[in-house]
Amino acid sequence: MPAVRGDGMRGLAVFISDIRNCKSKEAEIKRINKELANIRSKFKGDKTLDGYQKKKYVCKLLFIFLLGHDIDFGHMEAVNLLSSNKYSEKQIGYLFISVLVNTRSDLINLINQSIKNDLQSRNPIHVNLALQCIANIGSKEMAEVFGHDIPKLLVSGDTMDVVKQSAALCLLRLFRTSQEIIPGGEWTSRIIHLLNDQHMGVVTAATSLIDALVKKNPDEYKGCISLAVSRLSRIVTASYTDLQDYTYYFVPAPWLSVKLLRLLQNYPPPDDPGVRGRLIECLETILNKAQEPPKSKKVQHSNAKNAVLFEAISLIIHMDTEPNLLVRACNQLGQFLSNRETNLRYLALESMCLLATSEFSHDAVKKHQEVVILSMKMEKDVSVRQQAVDLLYAMCDKTNAEEIVQEMLNYLETADYSIREEMVLKVAILAEKYATDYTWYVDVILNLIRIAGDYVSEEVWYRVIQIVINRDDVQGYAAKTVFEALQAPACHENMVKVGGYILGEFGNLIAGDQRSSPSVQFQLLHSKYHLCSPMTRALLLSTYIKFVNLFPEIKTQIQEVFKQHSNLRSADAELQQRASEYLQLSIIASHDMLATVLEEMPVFPERESSILAVLKKKKPGRVPENEIREHKSPVPGSTANHQEERSAAKTVSANASTDLLGLSTPPAAPTAGNTGVLVDMLGELYTSGSPQPHANNVAAQNAYNPAKFVCKNNGVLFENDLIQIGVKSEFRQNLGRITLFYGNKTSTALQNFSAAVTNPTGCIGKLNVQSKKVDPTVEAGAQVQQMVNGECVFDYPDAPSLTVTFTCNGTPQKLSLRLPLTVNKFFEPTEMTGEVFFARWKNLSGNEQRSQKIFKATQPMDNTAIRTKLIGFGMQLLDGIDPNPENFVCAGIVHTSKQQIGCLLRLEPNKQAQVSDLLQCRCFFILLRVNVCETLSGTGH
Amino acid sequence: MIKAILVFNNHGKPRLSKFYQYFNEDMQQQIIKETFQLVSKRDDNVCNFLEGGSLIGGSDYKLIYRHYATLYFVFCVDSSESELGILDLIQVFVETLDKCFENVCELDLIFHVDKVHYILNELVMGGMVLETNMSEILTRIEEQNKLEKLEVSFLLSAVFDTSLGELNSG
Repeated sequence: MPAVRGDGMRGLAVFISDIRNCKSKEAEIKRINKELANIRSKFKGDKTLDGYQKKKYVCKLLFIFLLGHDIDFGHMEAVNLLSSNKYSEKQIGYLFISVLVNTRSDLINLINQSIKNDLQSRNPIHVNLALQCIANIGSKEMAEVFGHDIPKLLVSGDTMDVVKQSAALCLLRLFRTSQEIIPGGEWTSRIIHLLNDQHMGVVTAATSLIDALVKKNPDEYKGCISLAVSRLSRIVTASYTDLQDYTYYFVPAPWLSVKLLRLLQNYPPPDDPGVRGRLIECLETILNKAQEPPKSKKVQHSNAKNAVLFEAISLIIHMDTEPNLLVRACNQLGQFLSNRETNLRYLALESMCLLATSEFSHDAVKKHQEVVILSMKMEKDVSVRQQAVDLLYAMCDKTNAEEIVQEMLNYLETADYSIREEMVLKVAILAEKYATDYTWYVDVILNLIRIAGDYVSEEVWYRVIQIVINRDDVQGYAAKTVFEALQAPACHENMVKVGGYILGEFGNLIAGDQRSSPSVQFQLLHSKYHLCSPMTRALLLSTYIKFVNLFPEIKTQIQEVFKQHSNLRSADAELQQRASEYLQLSIIASHDMLATVLEEMPVFPERESSILAVLKKKKPGRVPENEIREHKSPVPGSTANHQEERSAAKTVSANASTDLLGLSTPPAAPTAGNTGVLVDMLGELYTSGSPQPHANNVAAQNAYNPAKFVCKNNGVLFENDLIQIGVKSEFRQNLGRITLFYGNKTSTALQNFSAAVTNPTGCIGKLNVQSKKVDPTVEAGAQVQQMVNGECVFDYPDAPSLTVTFTCNGTPQKLSLRLPLTVNKFFEPTEMTGEVFFARWKNLSGNEQRSQKIFKATQPMDNTAIRTKLIGFGMQLLDGIDPNPENFVCAGIVHTSKQQIGCLLRLEPNKQAQVSDLLQCRCFFILLRVNVCETLSGTGH
Repeated sequence: MIKAILVFNNHGKPRLSKFYQYFNEDMQQQIIKETFQLVSKRDDNVCNFLEGGSLIGGSDYKLIYRHYATLYFVFCVDSSESELGILDLIQVFVETLDKCFENVCELDLIFHVDKVHYILNELVMGGMVLETNMSEILTRIEEQNKLEKLEVSFLLSAVFDTSLGELNSG
């Protein structure tokens, strides 16, 4: 028996006892500080410290560190111990630098030197100390320094088994830091053949290494399949006495079996019929053994046996080609569902989630539905209940959806808080996916809000609205149901939101009934108004203006409410503004105009449910698919990638739809859905039906065209596979505020994210820009915002540049863009009569006041498009004042902090030639003139 | 991969912490705290696997633990590890400690934290299982002890020599 107790370091024991006897945290800290000061002075002053003393102090430091105190010294002393010729000193030195990793370069060199010496030692124990240290620190430098020696150590015939084992894992660690460390060529085969090693410990370690290598390069290491299968076969068929010490509680080499079964899950089923037959035999044997009576009552025995069994089942599911095995696996898991051991129930539920997605076993899984529902309701352990919910979600299909959704709803009333939000998402997804009757869907979602309103995220209630808007067969029912739900004395705010929105759109469908007449609907909604948050109130105000359109008979009643909230009584500026604008709209606009502005929402484009994206974002990788897999195609490796791509693509499209209602955009416009449309509509009326608002978003995809943003303030500035950058800007006088939205389109987080705005040298002092910092991490599928404030001090030549850098999947990315902050953004359109215009035009006829440019139109001449551009450019388009009706003349004032600069512009399209337009701009400031000419001609017109 | 191995007592006092992925000191302490809070509020007869730790690895992260008398042994792992396999590995670790310390108790871990590290180093390396065969592990520990004893006797003889020398010179 190796007794490790005994060689006491008395000073250490006393110190530890002191700490343990401390009555308070303060006393402990005091004692520790005293000790730290003592050790520090010893290390500094006492040059005669011997190895034993150093060892003692280093031990103390380790203990202090474990208690959570920072240790910022002692590294040097520890490094000195590495070269001690006493083993225990060397050992503690290595321990210290492994626990308190410090990458100070002067130390690293010394450490590496000691490691180098120990690696060459003839004593395997010393070699192992060195290998452990490399595996603990595993820095890039170490990979460089030792990248050569360790592979040699691993495959050399002279190396002892103990060292080989460590070398394999050490190499794995270095491989994780720098992938190029693994030599290719003949090494591949030598590494693979470690699977045949005599020593089981070596095989276990080597399997871990090979598993990592295979993940990087499956084709190169394909050879390991047959070796792994035969190794596995030898273990599985071995009796427990064959493997002696590697038998654990009567189970032969359970850890190695698990590792081999995992390794094989990197590949599709073996092509070679012999290998494949052998593998299937192994899997059958493992399943058979599960049915044998246990050889021991100890839990260790059943754990070890079942560890292998679960891994075998994972492999069967992964292969997904053997219906017989799949059904057997399912039955086996079914037995576990009612096992006494909580662990087994947990794992069985987890594995069944995977089985449910195979077309062969989906039905077999469904047989266990009742037990699973019971697990969800009755399990003591929330982890297990959570697994049961996951499984119900995975096994749900058309035939059992109603029952499962109902059971989940019932359970939700008493469910743990920690899993409610996820359950809500799952119920919402299932209800939508399997709804044949959409009235059922509406009922389910409203029930969700009623039962767990706090856990219903925006996406869920956005989605129900999207669906109701898209399906006219359910609109009347929805209106009626929300109306009824709103009559509850206390109803959740989310219910008010959904109710408000739906009644605003479809309230007319139930208005015929006296019990839900327009006035009753309005009173009902307004009775909730005062209990709601500003965001909901804003939404309700939008509903009211829609009511004005739908029900002219209650217009005065509603105008009264707008009046009340358009003044100081509304503390929220947004509400005040909204109320006054709606009030004016209801007063000024004709009925036809109102009807156009407040037309029913157009149908939302069909996309994948945004809720699914949220669920995936919450638990990437762990959410069971509620989708039955197609038969697996035997293309090695590519399946995984393909799936990833697919899910990435899904997330992207889903992201786009998350914002469908636009309600999550900045607080200034909580119900941008309505106001946005309003503005767009007005905009369209104003610019006589230009194809601007929606088409732009689509056109901008995968393209970056800074010129376009000269004439518009909002849209997608840039987009590629990784990121979408949206922009939204507002300008007032000489001030501008640009909000940039960075959306991560991938399924991994973007790291080291930074977005820097740089003012070109020519603009310094003329344009001030300030940008807020952005969070360095953009989570998968998430969007972050950045505010940029600009102040136009004086006429400036160029827009600032925007440099976006980030790391995605380890690859650094850099984007150089131009911030849409050209000088024309500060234009204020100026009305003037033809007389005034041409008087000023003539005054500015000197060469110093005039810039002129002839340019080719990039698009066919289209008066409407030109008008849209010019209006977007920011100047006032002056119609009917130019003697030549083909010409466009504009006037505007650029607001700068120093002064206001007037500017006149005339565009003479040359229709006959269809090749060139003459653009003339007149102004006192040359820079501005040239600038206006350049930017405008750059846009194509 | 095993991301970290933590041992703490029923009051959350850390007795061993070993991280196989780099975290700074602050983060290490936070992870220990969070893990203790997650694990300690669970009943003894519930399952030994637990999700919900937020500090390491996000969703691909599980805690697998065992509670022995006054101590919790927690292995923080990702999904590439077999839950039951790790559970047995914890058992191997504890049995090895028990053999080495002859009825291990919390005090042994406190006063011999260095030894506990050495034993662990024989089981797990760079976050991967190194050796699971207990008699093999015990042999290796035994060999290390021998080396150490050798140096103690060497030390004693050195002391003896010097005192002899002193005697002679005196």
